[in-house]
Amino acid sequence: MATRMFGMPVQRTEDERLITGKGGYLDDLGAGAYAAAFVRSPHAHARVRDIDVTGALDVEGLVAVYTHEDLSGPMAEPLPLLIPHPAILDGRTPYALAKEYVHYVGEPVVMVVARDRYVAEDAVGRIAVDYETLDPVVGIEAAARAERVVHAGMSDNVAAHLVQEVGDARAAIAAAPNRIELDLDIERSACTPMEGRGVYARWDGRDAMLRLYSSTQTASGVRAAVAAKLGLQLGQVEVVVPDVGGGFGVKIVHPWPEELMVPWAARALGHEVKWAEDRREHFTAAAHERAQRQHVTVGFDDEGRLLGLDVDILHDNGAYLPYGIIVPIVTSTQLLGPYKPGAYRVEFRSLYTTTAIVTPYRGAGRPQGVFAMERTMDAIAAHLGMDRADVRAANFIQPEEMPYDQGLLFQDGRPLIYDSGDYPASLEKIKKLVGWDDFTAYRDAARAEGRKVGIGLACYVEGTGPGPYEGGHVQVETSGKVRVATGLTTQGQGHQTALAQIVADELGVPMSDISVTTGDTRRMPYSVGTFASRGAVMSGSAVALAARRLKEKALRIAADALEADAEDLEIVDGRVQVRGTPSAGIELGTVAVLSNPLRYAFDEASKAATQFTGAADYTRPPVAADDEPGLEGTDFYSPLRSTFASGMHAVVVETDPETAEIRILRYCVVHDCGKLVNPLIVEGQVHGGVAQGVAGALYERMEYDSGGQLLNASFMDFLMPYASEVPKVEIDHLETPSPLNPLGIKGAGEAGVIPGAAVIAAAVEDAEGFAITRMPVSPSELFHLRRRFDKGGIAPLPGAYSRTGEANA
Amino acid sequence: MRVTFEVNGRPVTADDVWAGESLLYVLRERLGLPGSKNACEQGECGSCTVYLDGVTVCACMVAAGQAHGRRVRTVEGLSSPGGGQRLDAVQEAFLEAGAVQCGFCTPGLLVQADDLVGRTARRGLGVPGDAEIREHLAGNLCRCTGYEAIVEAVRLAAERADAAVRGGAR
Amino acid sequence: MEFLSPATWEEALAAKSERPDAVPIMGGTDVMVEINFDRRRPPALIDLTRVPGLREWRADGDGVRLGAGVPYTGIVDALGGAAPALAAAARSVASPQIRNRGSVGGNLGGASPAGDAHPPLLATDAVVELASVGGVRRVPAREFYLGPRRTARRDDELIAAVLLPAPAGPQRFAKVGTRNAMVIAVVSFALALDARSRTVGTGIGSAGPTPLRAPGAEEFAAAEFDWEGGAPLPESAVHRFGELVAAAARPIDDVRGSAGYRRHALAVLARRALARAAADYREGGARCA
Repeated sequence: MATRMFGMPVQRTEDERLITGKGGYLDDLGAGAYAAAFVRSPHAHARVRDIDVTGALDVEGLVAVYTHEDLSGPMAEPLPLLIPHPAILDGRTPYALAKEYVHYVGEPVVMVVARDRYVAEDAVGRIAVDYETLDPVVGIEAAARAERVVHAGMSDNVAAHLVQEVGDARAAIAAAPNRIELDLDIERSACTPMEGRGVYARWDGRDAMLRLYSSTQTASGVRAAVAAKLGLQLGQVEVVVPDVGGGFGVKIVHPWPEELMVPWAARALGHEVKWAEDRREHFTAAAHERAQRQHVTVGFDDEGRLLGLDVDILHDNGAYLPYGIIVPIVTSTQLLGPYKPGAYRVEFRSLYTTTAIVTPYRGAGRPQGVFAMERTMDAIAAHLGMDRADVRAANFIQPEEMPYDQGLLFQDGRPLIYDSGDYPASLEKIKKLVGWDDFTAYRDAARAEGRKVGIGLACYVEGTGPGPYEGGHVQVETSGKVRVATGLTTQGQGHQTALAQIVADELGVPMSDISVTTGDTRRMPYSVGTFASRGAVMSGSAVALAARRLKEKALRIAADALEADAEDLEIVDGRVQVRGTPSAGIELGTVAVLSNPLRYAFDEASKAATQFTGAADYTRPPVAADDEPGLEGTDFYSPLRSTFASGMHAVVVETDPETAEIRILRYCVVHDCGKLVNPLIVEGQVHGGVAQGVAGALYERMEYDSGGQLLNASFMDFLMPYASEVPKVEIDHLETPSPLNPLGIKGAGEAGVIPGAAVIAAAVEDAEGFAITRMPVSPSELFHLRRRFDKGGIAPLPGAYSRTGEANA
Repeated sequence: MRVTFEVNGRPVTADDVWAGESLLYVLRERLGLPGSKNACEQGECGSCTVYLDGVTVCACMVAAGQAHGRRVRTVEGLSSPGGGQRLDAVQEAFLEAGAVQCGFCTPGLLVQADDLVGRTARRGLGVPGDAEIREHLAGNLCRCTGYEAIVEAVRLAAERADAAVRGGAR
Repeated sequence: MEFLSPATWEEALAAKSERPDAVPIMGGTDVMVEINFDRRRPPALIDLTRVPGLREWRADGDGVRLGAGVPYTGIVDALGGAAPALAAAARSVASPQIRNRGSVGGNLGGASPAGDAHPPLLATDAVVELASVGGVRRVPAREFYLGPRRTARRDDELIAAVLLPAPAGPQRFAKVGTRNAMVIAVVSFALALDARSRTVGTGIGSAGPTPLRAPGAEEFAAAEFDWEGGAPLPESAVHRFGELVAAAARPIDDVRGSAGYRRHALAVLARRALARAAADYREGGARCA
């Protein structure tokens, strides 16, 4: 019997080439290409008065220098605003090369093309740009005050303003027996994949065809955008995504200025051109996320139940708004987590600053939302002297209330309706896993030894797998090998393995016979992209549906050949056979031969499909009117709504009483992403997410000075954690299937990162005895908080809150 | 300048090398060995870790001229330089433990992991503990895995090497 | 840019004498970063990796003469007994790959205030051996650091070695950083007790424009310490020592930490170092005395 692959911890099929140094990443391609480099703005805000390129012209090996003046037509216009929304008041996007104004340090102003990168960089260094510097606007406060304005023609810095409300939250809060206000603050971080962005273009002048390789999270999106900008038909552009060295969101933005300039120059020069981003460019000129200020007002009853929740968010979107307002929308909606908020009002203002753009980074606004809600839950517990887990439990949506409509519009423009989930069961699991109820004794013992330890808990719900759609194409070759294609891209999630597992089960073929292609518009032009934990849900479902179509056809053809009823057939190990009589069967490859009526034979096998070989039915055409030749299936999966994964993290930390260093002693995760396609891959996603969550809570921040210079634009100063910092993660799974898709799965890619800041803040707070409202927290900051606390500048947490496990003691 | 050295057991020469050029650039751009990755150019990420005369170094911080006459081994040469085996034991362990996600940091991590196994278990000095593994890998950044499966892979490779050494000793 | 590959120390000195603007390169951990980042385009590099002897160490009187190019890995492996504070600092340098390449000579050449080798060299009163075609001179580490990235080394000189006195008492090194690995210290501290001269040495890293000493703290501790029996110091004395060390620092606010935190952490490190060194002194009393 064939083993079922779905749900098995199958080794990844991608890995063999990656562990032997044979991966083909963007910068490993295009050995003969010219190299591009960019003159970038050294100022956060300036007007470009003059560009003098003469100094570069005698650099040997220089090929071309381009400025905005060289661009025309759509290329000279601003880049597209990818996701329009009615709440956007003034949506500014950059130009491919700066036109008159620059709005952040790192903005591309001049493009240089040269024989190699060293020459290109030399030429960049010799180009003189004369800037008239203008006032920078750095930080949310400065943006909100609007004493200085980022974009000419605007009277303030508000890019978008949105209010969503369910019920009358303010009235509910005013009438509530208890009321708390919190001011919260999260700083900027960034995806920081190990491989930066990169683009490599080949223009074939004879065929007037463009082949573009890009380290992107959306092949089809890049294709459409580049075609539009370069004035090409979609059919003239092929986008191929090679191995991608991590994305985490930053590579979903498209088209980047460089992503347009490289193919534009390749066409202009009639020569291959490549640009591979360096680390400093990635820090300053790619994208960041997270920065928000939140003001929470909450009303609740004496049992800790929410009656009204009013959240006001200021969101820093950086210099431009190419990705619209997805991040603050996600924050506003996903903030609700597994809870019933009572009446809810959320308002955000998305603000321009003269810094790098802000677009989704793994979690995409959820870490901030969860921070707001979970800090609120802890504050309620403190206020009432309740156990923090009990406050959460009092507010959970119950499993029998699913599907649960939160009454808002989600980031996909569709209703925020949770499809399934069992939050009480998750809470029981996480309490057991971390030993929640026994922690008080542990902490008291530690305190007696002069140690400070604390425990924290945070819950989240994550909308995953949003539409509009993804496609799958499955084809059986006459060799019996199966080729699978989906349009979305992969950047380390093991899609090739997971999709092969799904197809193996659907078709009854061994994994070793299946090859999967992702992110290649030549194989699957219709696609959206890889974001929002949608790979497995969307493309998994699409290839399953495509495989089912193919299987139906295979059984029909085999039934003819075997003179059996299709209903009596099954496919086992790549062979169609009669159920119960395995000797009566036909190889799937042979079915593929028969599926394509031939005039000309090309090998032994294909003879079987030629016109004089078999008994033909002369009453029917060789290919029926509603059929087509070949053994393939294509289908698309378009869900009604997003599916909602969930989870809970608990963490135990120890803080050094003297140096204020923070150490994670335990990190526990309970995770529910529906049916698991491959536990090995899902656990890897959780581990990686947790590492980024810990990083964002304790180490990473983008440190801009008041002039808009990024002070820590390197791995030496932006403190990404090594193996020596990331804790061991203890994981327990819960599987609540999604009723929305054929496989019962939910997305898993982002989950691990989401509650990181919230749960670590909670644990540090528990260890210290005063509220933590701002993340990340470094030893230096914790030291200063302690000082303020000692001087009475921060109120101590009331009573029983710091005595976890003793509810109402 | 001309630089001649040995890579993965085979002599190589690069001409017209600029004095400030790194070993990493020479490997990737001149010798067709793109396995070692460029991710920071300042020795912080370890993606370009290679053996130089048997010692692991960041190839981005070695001037090409410093490699002249020396022996370099890269990820491409990990699996039995003499041929034969398809995968080296550490590579095999990475595969089994699920230690690879995007794979960009993997070449450097493999070399550094191989170094640890070579200094410990393969010499009969036992299987390194969790802290020792993490410390030895603490110059290699990975953004995808959270390191857990990587640590597990190194332990697995070391355990096998340890068993082989002990088996051989019996 | 030229790439000079001297095969002998004499050739290296001659090259440096002829080209004082040439930059010596050993492990490349500083120089290559500057070249990779386009921050520096020196007219020539002098590769010292082929010069015999630079990567060796040997006994020198009671102490050790450490070749300027001995990588940190070698110091960790070999000098735990002969130079405990320096070996501890070497163990905490960056990553294994950097420790395989980086050297004390490189730290001294770059003279970054965050260099891990500096505090132990200061605390133990090590001596820097500088050489040029004109000869050799020896400069105490305590007189070597002149200003931000400025040292007593002249342009025509190369750093040949560091002379490490034999330890005559316990030595400690500690640092605090946000991240364990690859940490450029938020602050670091080295302490050496010398039972023979009954003096205390200190070294402070990352808390001023140059590596620093805390002379007031040294004198205070030398006077307070029970050099006969190594009795535990009263808590007030340990505390005072921490204050004096912190007072000697001249930290600034930066990305890694505030000046206030640096002073505070330095005081903590100094207190811990002194208390532990005193305990070591008692335990190893017979050996050290």
